[in-house]
Amino acid sequence: MSAAASAPRPRLAALGRRPLDALGSLMRRSPKAAAGIVILLVLSLMAISAPLWTSYDPTSLAFKSMLTPSRLHPLGTTFVGQDILSQLLYGARFTMLIGLLTGLIATLIGTAVGISAAYFGGRFDEIVNGIINVVLVLPGFPLLIVAAALLENAGDWAIIIVISLTGWAWGARVLRAQAMTLRRRDFIDAAVSTGEGPGRIIFREMLPNLSGIIAANFFGTALYGVLSESGLKFIGVGDVTQPSWGSMLYWAAGHTALLKGAWWWVMAPGLCIALLGTSFALLNFAIDEIANPKAANAGRLRAARRGKGRVLASQSAAQTLTRPNMKIQPPNPAALLSVRHLTAGYQTPQGPVRAVRNVSLDVMPGEFLGLAGESGCGKSTLAFAATRLLAEPGEVFSGQSVLEGVDLLTLSESELRRRRWKDYSMVFQASMNVLNPVLRVREQLYDAMQAHGVTDKAKLDARARELFGLVGIRESYLDVYPHQLSGGMKQRVVIAIALALEPKLVVLDEPTTALDVVVQRQILEEIQAVRRRLGIGIVMITHDLSLLTEMSDRIAIMYAGEIVEEAPSSVLQSAPLHPYTRRLMTAFPPLGGERTRREGIPGRPPSLALDLTGCPFAERCDSVMPICSLQKPVLSDLSPGHRVACFLHASPEQLTLAKPEVNHVLASD
Amino acid sequence: MLYLLRKFALLLLTLFVAATINFFLPRLIPGDAVGAMMAKYQGNLSPQAADALRLAYGLGNEGSAFQEYLKYLVKLLHGDFGRSITQFPTPAADVIAAAAPWTIGLIGVCTLISFLIGSALGLYSAWKGNQRFASALPAIGLFLGALPYFWVGSLLVYVFSLWHNVFPLGGNLDPFIGDSFTPKWWSSMLRHAVLPACSIIITAVGGWLVTMRNNAVSVMGEDYLAFARAKGLSERRILSRYVLRNAMLPSLTGFGIALGFVVGGSILVEQVYSYPGLGYYLFSAVTSKDFPLMQAIFLIISAAVLIANFLVDILYTFLDPRVRTGLGA
Repeated sequence: MSAAASAPRPRLAALGRRPLDALGSLMRRSPKAAAGIVILLVLSLMAISAPLWTSYDPTSLAFKSMLTPSRLHPLGTTFVGQDILSQLLYGARFTMLIGLLTGLIATLIGTAVGISAAYFGGRFDEIVNGIINVVLVLPGFPLLIVAAALLENAGDWAIIIVISLTGWAWGARVLRAQAMTLRRRDFIDAAVSTGEGPGRIIFREMLPNLSGIIAANFFGTALYGVLSESGLKFIGVGDVTQPSWGSMLYWAAGHTALLKGAWWWVMAPGLCIALLGTSFALLNFAIDEIANPKAANAGRLRAARRGKGRVLASQSAAQTLTRPNMKIQPPNPAALLSVRHLTAGYQTPQGPVRAVRNVSLDVMPGEFLGLAGESGCGKSTLAFAATRLLAEPGEVFSGQSVLEGVDLLTLSESELRRRRWKDYSMVFQASMNVLNPVLRVREQLYDAMQAHGVTDKAKLDARARELFGLVGIRESYLDVYPHQLSGGMKQRVVIAIALALEPKLVVLDEPTTALDVVVQRQILEEIQAVRRRLGIGIVMITHDLSLLTEMSDRIAIMYAGEIVEEAPSSVLQSAPLHPYTRRLMTAFPPLGGERTRREGIPGRPPSLALDLTGCPFAERCDSVMPICSLQKPVLSDLSPGHRVACFLHASPEQLTLAKPEVNHVLASD
Repeated sequence: MLYLLRKFALLLLTLFVAATINFFLPRLIPGDAVGAMMAKYQGNLSPQAADALRLAYGLGNEGSAFQEYLKYLVKLLHGDFGRSITQFPTPAADVIAAAAPWTIGLIGVCTLISFLIGSALGLYSAWKGNQRFASALPAIGLFLGALPYFWVGSLLVYVFSLWHNVFPLGGNLDPFIGDSFTPKWWSSMLRHAVLPACSIIITAVGGWLVTMRNNAVSVMGEDYLAFARAKGLSERRILSRYVLRNAMLPSLTGFGIALGFVVGGSILVEQVYSYPGLGYYLFSAVTSKDFPLMQAIFLIISAAVLIANFLVDILYTFLDPRVRTGLGA
């Protein structure tokens, strides 16, 4: 998390500095954008190379009236004897020019207004925002008709300006919103405090980050421009003697082309407008999808779906990676949850990322198991994969997760739905947003129970009150909406929902990280109390190891998608063996202990997209040995219940087993 | 409540801005506006119509522009929109009163239908994202949204009136239909409305589809959806109470903006079908340079759009508790 926040100058859009590169990457990433670009290119070529395709002047009246399509006139002639194909080709120039110019002007206005409102803020922003809202809800097209009719003699520029003036507000609104979130980011603040001027900050720091949204907006307003212009021309506003697709439709309608059977006269220009409009709309949509973080989900999903072909490959890769000399362990029948050889991760456009690597783990009935490690080490992915909650683009590549004798990963959808929440429940990491904002808390507590067969109103109500008592919230809060609750209360509500059906296992994914220390303490104590009373098993994920040593029976330490050490809490606290565990122990102050200066762990965990041959911690380890980067240490038992994957504590046979391979690698160097 | 008050203030402000634009627009034309306007008629203007123009634009009135502006606002408040030039001395308000019900009926109903169909398709597209048809829907929606309304109208006329004589060529009713609201009247009215309605729905559906799909996709990435899945809720419940209920909110806030656009495009359809609504009169006012009527129609369309928008805002407060209880939005 902290690494992401401090990253300098993130680019929201993948639109790089060189336009051609950006175009290429856009086309690769989105078939919609590629289609839009191709249509736009074809139409542009058609407009530019018009003289190559036809030798006729579009305004010449040299031919017979209303000729049907023939070899000489592929689209026939108009009522006054103009060649329709040449009108179509030359008309493309004007219509496209209008689209591009209105798009450009409206985007310029919208960008300038939106960004300056966001940058300067305060009263200025309030006034500008008011203006934007007024312009937005004013029906633009009727206004356009009136203004254009009044300005008729002022020429095409007047119309272009008027279209732009009615079309800039949408872009201003979107850009203002985006620029405001950007304005609050650290790197802009840093630029302001180092004394950079507003112009420099806007052009050097903000504009590049908004380039995607600006580009999307350009195509959106260009679409508006093309449709507006053709609509205006169609009702005869503006210079209808100038060949354009709109004026062709005006003349076709005026001379009742359809009544006379000349459908091609209407069809051709209309289809061209529709194609041009579609290409603008496709580009607007595609760029927005890539640039706009809110719609980014869709892009991710699609990219993942396209990557489906690679899943099989990665599956087999995962299988070969479970080394042949390692025996496959069957699930432990005595355990409540028994995870075996679980490999899971995410499909990304760059290939699969294996965030959980061949993990095996047991949770005993009624046991409190802690799972610790730095951010991004795969803790949450493990929890989601084991409970089969990993959503696309996440995926379980191989392994088992057996809850009370049933492998959750092979259950049918309906069977899974029945078991969820009844057998196991989960408290999510980002509990601030896990409650549906538009439903009352009561309904969200009820529906979990109703989905599992509790339908009696009186029973539901009694249970809801009981649960709220259990987590220490007043019953009257059952009928509020989530936004009326504080962060701590939301968390308690979520825990109450998690306990609703008295599941045998509750997974808590960093349940208290967003809360202040006092609330955190209260909530954890309540969890402990409830666990003892109901005898439920708990898996709690956190990066706060000192918290775990105090609360849990057993602790597993994760690093780079693997479990590197596992021991009873007291053992781990008194004698941590893995160098990573030791560093982690000193990285957090004990709860209630004295506040001394803590050292972090220098360096970063390795990328989970890589397959490492050696120990993943080797690079950051201060006890590193030559073997560490050549072979992966195996997780092996040192004493009952204490397992560690480190060559410092490896048995002699493990080291000798490793030797031939090491020699082999050294020899091949 | 505060939310609705704010929205109502915006409604009044926007109406005021529309009226002000309406007043100043003809006066922005360089030089002598009314003189230039009169010149456009090239002497074909009847003396009464010339009077109407003078009346409308305050020619020959003494007093400052500001006084005229105030007078104009007072007149508007009394429902006086000036007089039509082409139908002199009919007040523009009378022309509007005859045309408005047809437009509100046609475009209002069609907007509602296309909003419902488009949103349903958009929701379907997001929900069944992996299926071929569902994933093709946004592209289809983008194409439909890029079609000029009036062009779709022309094609439908060609296919269903000229080629196959299924529906009437234009107009709103058969001639000599007799009393309104009789069964015969209803059937004639509906038969005449089918093609214009289809033109509007076909083109307007695309925008709502794409909007709803994007909203639903972003809701489906929210934590509360993953939590709902984890709770083991049925797909039906997740779709209706979690995805739809949340995804429709931005659709509704965008409604006002989209409405202006949809209405703008739809009024051209009336011209294609000679459907005697506001769009049709707007067109004939443009061709006959009947500026007072044109401006009155602009004002009334603005007012209709703004009021519809406000009704949606009221609906919104019922659907979003965050707005209703006065805390942030």
